[in-house]
Amino acid sequence: MLVEQLINGVVLGSMYALIAQGYTLIFGVLDKLNFAHGEVFMLGGFVCLASIALGASLPVAILVAAIISGLLGLMIEFVGFRKFRSPDAHITAALSSFAIGLVIIDLSQKVWGAEPVALTLPGTLQTATVSIAGLNIVVLRLAILVISLLLMFVLYGVVVKTSLGRRIRAVAESPAKAALFGINVTRVNQQVFFIASAMSGLAGLALAVRTGYANTDVGFTFGLKALAIMAIGGMGDLRGALIGGLLVGVLEALAFQWGLGQLADVFVWLFMIVILLVRPAGLFGTLISKDVRA
Amino acid sequence: MGRMAPMTETPVLAVDDLHVSYGPIGALRGCTLEVRAGETVVVVGANGAGKTTLLRAVCNMLPWTGAIRLDGAPTGRVPTHRLARQGVLHLPENRGVLTTQSVLENLQLAFDMYPPARSFADAVEEAFTHFPRLKERQQQPAGNLSGGEQQMLALARAIISPPKILLLDEPSLGLSPRMVREAYRVLGGFKARGMAILLVEQNVHAALRFADRGYVLRQGVIVRQGEADMLARDTELFNQYLGFT
Repeated sequence: MLVEQLINGVVLGSMYALIAQGYTLIFGVLDKLNFAHGEVFMLGGFVCLASIALGASLPVAILVAAIISGLLGLMIEFVGFRKFRSPDAHITAALSSFAIGLVIIDLSQKVWGAEPVALTLPGTLQTATVSIAGLNIVVLRLAILVISLLLMFVLYGVVVKTSLGRRIRAVAESPAKAALFGINVTRVNQQVFFIASAMSGLAGLALAVRTGYANTDVGFTFGLKALAIMAIGGMGDLRGALIGGLLVGVLEALAFQWGLGQLADVFVWLFMIVILLVRPAGLFGTLISKDVRA
Repeated sequence: MGRMAPMTETPVLAVDDLHVSYGPIGALRGCTLEVRAGETVVVVGANGAGKTTLLRAVCNMLPWTGAIRLDGAPTGRVPTHRLARQGVLHLPENRGVLTTQSVLENLQLAFDMYPPARSFADAVEEAFTHFPRLKERQQQPAGNLSGGEQQMLALARAIISPPKILLLDEPSLGLSPRMVREAYRVLGGFKARGMAILLVEQNVHAALRFADRGYVLRQGVIVRQGEADMLARDTELFNQYLGFT
């Protein structure tokens, strides 16, 4: 049914958006792409799996996934970006983060194997439905949607309203100017990587819980699509990443509705190319814009 | 008149035999200068003499050799942001304001540099009495301000968080004559409060009128130094080193 597919699309899109927020936050601040970001997302599902296997409740698993993903982000910042801070180091940072991503995939496959691993929660959380206006909706999907949106609104509020947000935007404008304002640029970069990676890990957890599987492939398939979504929304723009994520989620859901599910991935990448041809800067201008003079 | 400090007093800033190179090119080749408490010192020189490089070296924004001391303590390994928090306020040529943030956000960031000695509201209040124009435009992004207003906002940082020493790179650059007078009027207020100021300027006459002492920088070397009013009368200096009269 169309409405149900649309709801699925929005839920899917909120997960895309959660990953895309991280891509775009890191890009906005460092002006560099973190190609390991999708693998942080992938690992989030396995951290949840492992926590549940060790007897943790879901809330504890969520907390553990957020923290471990954040710490992984700090590691990626240190190994892949700390030494490559100059604007000329785009390629180096891209390659090193790409390599880190491959290492994460490989190690995950050594531990959990290359096949999807079933993730079953105790109780009926994964199957319970609620009836709203004659529609049967899986409660878990609604929860994922609400929590994802909440996280994104909180992040937006932090960036726009708080002292941390002012420091993040200062570094995004110009690391040199930010340092002259007494801002520890390295610290801000770490904070940005922690936040972005924790959100990405939570998105991975959400996907694993929703589908009932943790899968080492999803960084490349699902995670990489978030990169397209960032470009669609506008590189470095948080609102763009949200809108872009929801758009792409709905687009995919419609593709399935019309029996074109096999082509869903193709649609996303074609959509990105079309958007970029029409609006090279993406749908939104940049929230965290660059000051070219600095 | 120059204020003569006793020679035993530790200078706020002491630069000794400073060398900076960009590849094989020596941008600074053995500069020695100092700024004493409450003193305004100007470094004049033609374009490319190394003035901006000097200020950037003092803030550890580029690698250098030699010795730099802040209140007697070597600054060699102190990162730029920590020097800022220790009271080195460097307003670079591009005005030292964050153009993507509002006037108020710029002031808040300036306020956050030091442990608060008063409330932010009080600090802003004081800044706005000096610069009423900023009050009118407090919610606007600094990038929407005129060049003169941006310079006022940059200078307001020194009111919000009074520095140990103010480093100013070409404060009159690109400003209308009226705004230049306004900027120097504000700086005069800072001077009267006893703020140590190190100023680099191409606008030699205005700068020497304003400063206590001056140094003349030419191709990375200090070729003259002395009381500002003495340098201002030195016609040979203008002919020979600054390339204009």
